[in-house]
This record gives sequence, C-alpha cells and structure tokens, in this order.
Amino acid sequence: MKFIKNHLMFILPLMAILLGVEFYLVFERTTNSYEKTLTEGYSMLVVSKKPVKLETFQKLNQHIITSTQIERSNIVSEVVKGISKSNSEAILKALPYFYNLGLNSYLHTNALGQIKKDLEADKNIKKVETFGSSYNSSYRLFAFIKLTLKVFIIFMAVVSLFLIIKQMEIWKYAHKERMRVMEIFGAPLMLRSGVLFRVAFVDAIFATIFVSGIFFYIKFYWAVQSGIDIMMQNKEELFQVADIGILFGSAIAIVIVAVYSVVFSNKGVQE
Amino acid sequence: MSNVIQASQLTLAYDNGEKEIIKDANFSIKKGEFVFITGPSGSGKSTLLKALYGQLRPTAGSLIIGGNDLSNIRRNKLQELRTHMGIIFQDYKLVNEWTVSKNVVLPLMIAGYSSEIQETQARRLLKHVKLSEYGERYPLELSGGEQQRVGVARALSKNPVVILADEPTGNLDDYSSNVIWDLMENACQQLDTTVLVVTHKIPTIFSLPYRHFIIESKGVYEVH
Repeated sequence: MKFIKNHLMFILPLMAILLGVEFYLVFERTTNSYEKTLTEGYSMLVVSKKPVKLETFQKLNQHIITSTQIERSNIVSEVVKGISKSNSEAILKALPYFYNLGLNSYLHTNALGQIKKDLEADKNIKKVETFGSSYNSSYRLFAFIKLTLKVFIIFMAVVSLFLIIKQMEIWKYAHKERMRVMEIFGAPLMLRSGVLFRVAFVDAIFATIFVSGIFFYIKFYWAVQSGIDIMMQNKEELFQVADIGILFGSAIAIVIVAVYSVVFSNKGVQE
Repeated sequence: MSNVIQASQLTLAYDNGEKEIIKDANFSIKKGEFVFITGPSGSGKSTLLKALYGQLRPTAGSLIIGGNDLSNIRRNKLQELRTHMGIIFQDYKLVNEWTVSKNVVLPLMIAGYSSEIQETQARRLLKHVKLSEYGERYPLELSGGEQQRVGVARALSKNPVVILADEPTGNLDDYSSNVIWDLMENACQQLDTTVLVVTHKIPTIFSLPYRHFIIESKGVYEVH
C-alpha cells in the first residue's frame, strides 16, 4: 500500500504537468486550425479606380496573399435592367474596380487598421472596407479563450511542481541514509542515485501512458460523441502519435531535475 | 614497513575553520598495525575518523592515506580511496531496506563485482561472523550485536587496506563486544589490514600488541 502511495504521489503531479503540456499542444493545434478557417473565411473589400494586380497589393502590405476581382458586370446587371445598352456600358465604364483580399493569418484589429492605411496610401484605391466590428468581437473572444487556457495550464503546472517538490523531500528523507552509506563506501553518484532514477523512470513511463490513454479516449470516443463542432472537425489534432514522444521527453526532463535535486542535496564532504 | 596513514601538522575544524577540534597533530600508522585512539567525550575522536574517511577536509596541514593527501583530494579519487577502506560505525549504518547479504556485499557491488561473486562472498563472510542463517533477513530483525557483526562483515568484504572503526562496541553488551574484537583482531592478523579503532575504553581481553593514541586539548599524543 505504502509502495503504491509513494508512486502515486509522484505520478499524479507528473500527470497533471503532462496533461497541461498535452492540453497546450492540442489547444495550439486546434486553435491554429480554427484560426486558419477564420482567416480563409475573412476578406477585405477594396475599391479602386484602376485595375490592381496582386503584386501591387502585396507591395503595399505583405499580409495580403490573395486578391479576387469582383465581376463588375455582375454588380451592374440588376441596376441596368430596362436601360439601353449604351447607357449600361457608360455605367459599367464609370464603375470602379472591386477586389476581395485574403490575408495570410488571423490578425489583430490594429494590424487590420495598418493594412487599411497602407492600401489607402495608394492614390488609385478609393475605399477599403475591413468589416472591423464583427471581426474585432470574434478576435477578442478568441484571444480571451486562448489566454484563459494558457493561464490555467501555467497555474496547474506550478501547483503540480510544488507537489513534486514535496514528494522529492519525502524521497530525500527516505533515501538519505542509504545514499549516505553508499557514499561513505565510495559509491559514485550514478550508483547512489540508481534506485531513484529507476523509480522515477518507471513513474515517468506510467504517467506518459496514463496521459496518452486519456487523450486517446478523448480523440476516439469522447470527441465523436461530444457534438462539439470544433472537436469533431479537428479530431485529428486532438492527439498525435508524436505527442507520446513529447510527453515522455517532458516527463524524463522533470524526472532528471527531480532526482538530481535529491542527489545533490545529499552531498557529503564538509569543508 | 611503510606508513599507511600519515598526519603532519593536521588541523581539523568545523564552521569554516572557526571551531577547531584538532590542532597541529602529528602521527603515523604503519601497514598491519592495530591502533586505538581514545579520549574524553567531545575531544575529537569521531572528527578525526571522519577526516580519515574523507568526510571532513583538513583545515590545515596534511593527512595522507595510502599516498593520497586528503586535504586536496579530488572527489572521484576520494571515492576510489574509500573502496579500499572498511568502515565500522557505532550505529552500524546498515541499509534497513536491504537484506543482510546485500548489506555485506555493498563494497563489492560498488566495485562492480558480478552477482555470483557477491553471493559467494556474502555466504563466506556471513559464515565468518557466524550469521550464516541470517542472509535473507533485514537488519532491523537482528539484535545490536548481530547488526554490528554484519557491519564488520561489510567492512571486511573487499579485503580493505584500512579498517576504521568508530566506537564499534559502544552499544553492545560484553559478550557481543568480545565477538567484535575477536573479528577485528583476526582481520588484522590474517589479512595484514591496518585497523584504527576510536573508542572511549580499550577492551581488557585484547591480546594483540597495539599502539594507543589519546586526544586531549586538541592534540593527538601517543601513550607509551
């Protein structure tokens, strides 16, 4: 019972940190994908006196990656019903050129303002519409959710780190005598700390397996049944095989720091 | 015979040199000698022993063991030197979560001997200290005298050049004490091991010729 308790006291906080790491990875991936969708769905409207090529737009601002000209004939088709051909041609001639501009990323409204400014600096561009207000509210909501989750993950990691430090103090007490005796008889550092490393590595493996298991469950069962659009659309982003390596690497890094802090706090020679 | 231990103007102190325990001590001990160091409580007997196994670095002077000056020895060299020492403590310092056999072969384990050699040596040593039946038990299941015999077996396991013993019979009754002294006498005679014992009282049953140092007023003096 004591054996299991000792392991759980290390595995649980380690799992909490790994969950934080994995949540961060999943969140970054899903939000990046969501951001991409938002970016693709967003465009600026530009009104120009003369035809403008994509390269010209890109010279004005590098965030612009696509430009689609809106067919002028489509715009006037409803207006010119019942009007003579010569008049309709005159209207078409007088009509400016309309472009939908696509951007390379999901930008802050300040950056949108800058793009507008850059475009309006061109003498041929008469008007730029950014649809700022609706964009602004969704951007702010999105940024708020991202920040909240990151703060939560950091908080969880800090609390877990304290729990690990507490457990390290227990280890330090439990292994102090053995390590001291081994040191007196000339055991090198690696041999003295061998038991600790073995215990901690086993715990790291278990913590990685448990966390991976949780995310496999979320990906293959929970996400499918949840009915949450963002989850279902981004199912592949929820957990990837490479994440197991990242989780195990993180667990090992924490284990090495934990064990060495115990080993070095048990150093012997008095000067 | 060559000196195994040589102290010259040796000063030992705690608190960064502020609390001097031993000052300007000079003594030497030859290979195969049996030496007692006595002195009143708090005189610095255990401090001297700590310095001899490298747990306390000399503040001044030199302390040479087996050609290594402990005042400036490197950590890995000290580790290597300790593998040639057998150390016996008053409080046994056994690892309670290990079996008696595993405790006995600790020096062999550190030296990287195979598990077959370790098992053979454990059986031989436990027979030597009359604890053949206790190999799979744990230290806390043994009496104080039995635990100290395990400590002696551990100290002897790698045929050390020097055995350092800190009040080895301090917690034992007369019968158990005599068993321990017998074992240490045998080690000195049969293995030509240098034995240095710190104790407050020299046993009356002792049969070997021995040298006796006393620590008094921070000095180490030989008693003739």
